[in-house]
Amino acid sequence: MKDFRHIGKDIPRPEAPDKAAGKAVYIHDLVRPGMLFGKIKFSDHAHARILRIDTSKAEKLPGVKAVITAYNTPELRIGFVRDNFALKKDKVRQFRDEVAAVAAIDPHTAAEAVGLIKVEYEPIPGVFSPEEAMEPGAPLVHETDPRGRPMKDNRHPLHYHHESGDVKAGEKAAKFVAQGEFSTQLVQQCCMGTAGCIAEFDMNNNLTMWAKTQIPFLAQRDFNQALSAMGLQNKNTRVIVPTLGGGFGTGLDTHAYEYIAILLAFRTGKPVKIVYTRDEEFANLSPRQSSRTKIIQGCDKNGKLTFRHAEVLQDNGAYTSWGATYPTVMMMPATSLYRVSNVYFDAKLVYTNNTYCQAMRGYGNPEFTWALENNMDQLAEKAEIDPFEFRMINCNQPGETTPMGLKVSTCGLKECMESVAGKLNWKKSRSQKKQRGIGMASLIHVGGGGRIYRSDGSGLILKLDDFGNVNTYCGGVEMGQGLHAVLILEIAEALGVQPEKVFINPTDTGTCPWDVGTHASRGAFMAGNTAIMAAKKLRDQIFEHAEQLFPELAAKNLKKYQKKHPDYAPPDFDIKQAAKRDRFDLVDGFVFLKDAPSEPWTRIELGALLRAIHFREQGQMLATEVFYDPPNELPDFEKGYGNMSATYAYGAQGVEVEVDTETGEVKILRMVAAHDVGRVLNPPALKGQIYGGLAQGVGYALYEQLQSERGRITNPNFRDYKIPTAHEMDFPIELDLIETNDQFGPFGAKGIAEPGLVPTAPAIANAIYNAVGVRIRDLPITPEKILAALEKLKSTKD
Amino acid sequence: MKAPLSFVLNGSNVTAEADGSTRLLDLLRVSLNHTGTKGGCGEGECGACTVLVDGLAVNSCLYPALEVEGKHVTTIEGLRTIDNKLSIVQQAFVDTSGIQCGFCTPGMIMTAKALLDNNPDPTDEEIREVLLGNLCRCTGYVQIVESIKTAASRLKENR
Amino acid sequence: MSRMDYYKPTSLDEAWKLKKLIPGSRFIAGGTDILVKIKNREVSPPALISLRSISELTGIQSGNVTRIGAMTTISELIQHRALAVKYPVLVEAAGRLGSVQIRNVATVGGNLCNCSPCADTALPLLVLEARVLLQSPGKEREVPLNEFFVGPGESCIAAGEILTAILLDRPAPDAQATSLKKGRVKMDLAIASVAALLEMDGKNCKKARLAAGSVAPVPLRLYQVEELLENGPITKAKLAEAQKLAVKSISPITDVRSTDNYRRQIVSVYVKRCLEKLMGGNP
Ligand SMILES: Cc1cc2nc3c(=O)[nH]c(=O)nc-3n(C[C@H](O)[C@H](O)[C@H](O)COP(=O)(O)OP(=O)(O)OC[C@H]3O[C@@H](n4cnc5c(N)ncnc54)[C@H](O)[C@@H]3O)c2cc1C
Ligand code: FES
Ligand code: FES
Repeated sequence: MKDFRHIGKDIPRPEAPDKAAGKAVYIHDLVRPGMLFGKIKFSDHAHARILRIDTSKAEKLPGVKAVITAYNTPELRIGFVRDNFALKKDKVRQFRDEVAAVAAIDPHTAAEAVGLIKVEYEPIPGVFSPEEAMEPGAPLVHETDPRGRPMKDNRHPLHYHHESGDVKAGEKAAKFVAQGEFSTQLVQQCCMGTAGCIAEFDMNNNLTMWAKTQIPFLAQRDFNQALSAMGLQNKNTRVIVPTLGGGFGTGLDTHAYEYIAILLAFRTGKPVKIVYTRDEEFANLSPRQSSRTKIIQGCDKNGKLTFRHAEVLQDNGAYTSWGATYPTVMMMPATSLYRVSNVYFDAKLVYTNNTYCQAMRGYGNPEFTWALENNMDQLAEKAEIDPFEFRMINCNQPGETTPMGLKVSTCGLKECMESVAGKLNWKKSRSQKKQRGIGMASLIHVGGGGRIYRSDGSGLILKLDDFGNVNTYCGGVEMGQGLHAVLILEIAEALGVQPEKVFINPTDTGTCPWDVGTHASRGAFMAGNTAIMAAKKLRDQIFEHAEQLFPELAAKNLKKYQKKHPDYAPPDFDIKQAAKRDRFDLVDGFVFLKDAPSEPWTRIELGALLRAIHFREQGQMLATEVFYDPPNELPDFEKGYGNMSATYAYGAQGVEVEVDTETGEVKILRMVAAHDVGRVLNPPALKGQIYGGLAQGVGYALYEQLQSERGRITNPNFRDYKIPTAHEMDFPIELDLIETNDQFGPFGAKGIAEPGLVPTAPAIANAIYNAVGVRIRDLPITPEKILAALEKLKSTKD
Repeated sequence: MKAPLSFVLNGSNVTAEADGSTRLLDLLRVSLNHTGTKGGCGEGECGACTVLVDGLAVNSCLYPALEVEGKHVTTIEGLRTIDNKLSIVQQAFVDTSGIQCGFCTPGMIMTAKALLDNNPDPTDEEIREVLLGNLCRCTGYVQIVESIKTAASRLKENR
Repeated sequence: MSRMDYYKPTSLDEAWKLKKLIPGSRFIAGGTDILVKIKNREVSPPALISLRSISELTGIQSGNVTRIGAMTTISELIQHRALAVKYPVLVEAAGRLGSVQIRNVATVGGNLCNCSPCADTALPLLVLEARVLLQSPGKEREVPLNEFFVGPGESCIAAGEILTAILLDRPAPDAQATSLKKGRVKMDLAIASVAALLEMDGKNCKKARLAAGSVAPVPLRLYQVEELLENGPITKAKLAEAQKLAVKSISPITDVRSTDNYRRQIVSVYVKRCLEKLMGGNP
């Protein structure tokens, strides 16, 4: 294995000291001169016609600078299928629909003004589950589709399908079959820093947006479209990303509140800030998509999977954001986790009057893996094979191409599962005393980008200055995951400088190169590959100049050295002769000749060389821009085929639980997580990603659920939406980071930001089943559900 | 009706104005421009707003500004040393990767400081108990607990 | 939050005067209940009258009758040595209230006056047969805590009355008490809780006091269970009977936090667990 100078080292994050000092500037802290505060009036109904909006009282309130509705502003269509509007006209379709908004001199006045807006509605019956929505004659959420054609029913136009092999034959070949129906809940991302933005126009009507986004460049495109719709042709948006108080998928789409801030800023000529309160965030930000999955699998007498059949139904809510595209990722585990050649996968979406959903860590993968990994245990039981053995029999292997066309370059799944089984002392722990049990679950995830858009690219600009510093402009977004720390290591390694010399500039569409967005665990993978490309180009430039300048500088160096050490006799070596561009190297910020004897004066500090390049006639400054688009394919999602990622991350997690059969409480005793990470780039950041994913997985498994009643969120606060605290996470966690050194990964690394969450819930469910013999199929696994299941189990036994 | 108010903020006397609806959090962030203290929920659940009042950790989102009259308030801005270095607790969070997005960090550090001021040698369990009122969505708390332990042992060495 | 005035009287007399003067004004102690309600617009008083600067309301005096000032914070309560020795059940239950940050400002008076069925100090105080001291200008009355709670958010406190102290008698030498709380996570309002006190004379139960939280409109004494247990040995059969009676005595609801069924189950299990613990595991 190659020795790295920086890769794999612990370095603290560059931004951490400022965060520790309270100096980092989040959107909540940012103030612009003359800034106003925007506030939104949301709907009072899940489904109703808007009859009248009376804003007169609000307008008269001192301190109010603008009150806008869909009736006095240009229509702004939003969302990737354009079925949503920034402000709603005629009709509301969910409680979070934006009917009006205010800009005022302070948040207090804005809130008071919103309270003075009176809206008259005519309620319409709503539909709150896919079943209700699909009943004949059910009220239509959308009377027309985005193009104005009448809708016949509430079926969503998006549809996902995959068929491979011969499922019928697979069914016939099966000796054992297991089926189940599994559901997952709405989950709020719960960024500790709530969502918000500031919109500001300059006098040329160009817009600057400070946005809590993970997709600055797609947001720029969206906002520019809005400017056009506002009649501001050929105007531009500059998106600046302040320090983010978490992302987890919330920043993957542009939001109505952002467009409303734009409208208010344009109307008032002042910067307008909108920041959600926690209640607003819970009730009005798109959460994780819920799902229902019917799954059937079969295996032969040796435990080899013969077919997999899965149907997914999603409650899409009233509009379309990325939640509607979860099946694009679900397809990956559905077709490619464990080896199975006959696969049927189908996913349908239905419009309802519930909240609509968007991305969250894992993006469909936890949802499907929940069903799949529960069902794997069910089938193993039917076949009377130990569930670990059963998984090993069907384990993926390096080099295989899966039914979806995923090309598996490296695959550490076997090692991961063995690690988990070993650490849990599998055989022994499976048959413990009553009420204790262990379980495991595995995962596959995109580890080399994830192409769900025309481009899966990322750019990087490296600009060298007179001091040997590397000024970095990266389109990826640091949201706490440690991108900047990793990027610094990658650049330091690839270019040959000290990490302290690498500086990362704020993400800004005005200065940074294009990037599709920070999602799909792609940040470190993409950044690393761009760093390697950029470093190569820069080194070529440096060495080219060095041919001419190095001998001179070395001679000067030697003179200085000899002054200090008069007795020094230099070795016999003709530097001029040796100074050929391909003979140079750059390590730790010093340029030297590989063949030259290692003498103090034969190493030229990079800054000195750069100054020599700069300060002369026809001087030059060195910088480079690269763009990397990984070798992956945009799948055809209606056929369910295409190699969406350059490489895939694998992992397995195991958990030991104790269940209190009188109270239904689940206590996690320990967890082990083994992940094929390709290569460890920065150990603390990597561990932090896995620990964080695990904690979100524990919340997903046991505690979290955004509850609603006829479309209204009933627990929009941390009082009633419980996420794990340090106490719930008080159990030992053992990590095993397995390095498979992937050929596509930078330095061998794969993306690893999401996997920790993916198999956590089914591993817990499987452990609970092992402990007390009940399988909870609907997340979250609450004590209430466990007790009810235990009762049922008892009554069937009696 | 706004009333005048004076108290000691991070060692310096300050005066300000507030009424009954002014929370200590607003006073600090808006009136006094100390934005290091964060607001995450406004109802005592998340702990992002934790500051010390006379040495006790409190939620500044549930603390009436007018109640700090004559008291000592310490915020994250007040922890740095005189020569503008991070305090031992802050540095431990940096070194032990207790910080990801950083939004919970000022509150976490204030809670940790209050704990270590009173209990220089906390057990893991005591640390986790005291963190109940500080939510973190990024870290899973592992490296936060490690940071506090690191801080405790460094503080001990320094004594 | 709409604009509010804020007063900081330094004596009870001044507080009463202000209260009378400003219709709709509310007292504020630690504020951890009322400020959340104001934020959520459940109440919007024109003024808050702070009880924090009134020295008559602070302090803990431990004697034949222990007097806990209403403005005692939960942190002060659980750090008080004499209380920990005399009334460990109170300290144990109070230690489960909220987080450190909340306990540092939340008061025991506020916890009772807020009259939530989940109030964590109410259960131990009920089984310890605490009395509260209610004062108004020139008047003072002592009310047993079990008569204090009237309905959800409602107590027998009259407008303008201030709860000044909580009074506790010296515990009987052979009295022992314990409590259990169930939340969805650890830092949570109880979805169900139970406290129990037993005075045993050998095998004979001389006195039993039980209370349950979050399962009725008020923190509830379980009188029928007490009656069943008193004057006789607590056998296995009696224990089972006690669980059933406890479940019969409560009227839990289903809400976002839990279900009525689950709350019943928890009360039943916790009654058993508390009693078993008090009897050293041998009913
Ligand atoms: C995050 C969080 C977590 C919580 N967790 C718990 C928990 O686990 N268990 C629990 O029981 N509670 C919990 N609470 C609720 C609250 O903290 C407690 O009820 C607390 O004890 C209330 O005391 P306070 O001094 O803050 O009351 P305040 O809010 O100041 O007052 C409450 C009410 O009582 C009145 N009042 C207060 N004192 C007096 C008095 N002396 N005389 C007359 N009227 C008075 C006030 O007018 C007000 O109506 C929690 C609250 C929060 C915000
Ligand atoms: S903002 Fe104060 S606890 Fe969340
Ligand atoms: S570091 Fe992001 S919430 Fe704690």
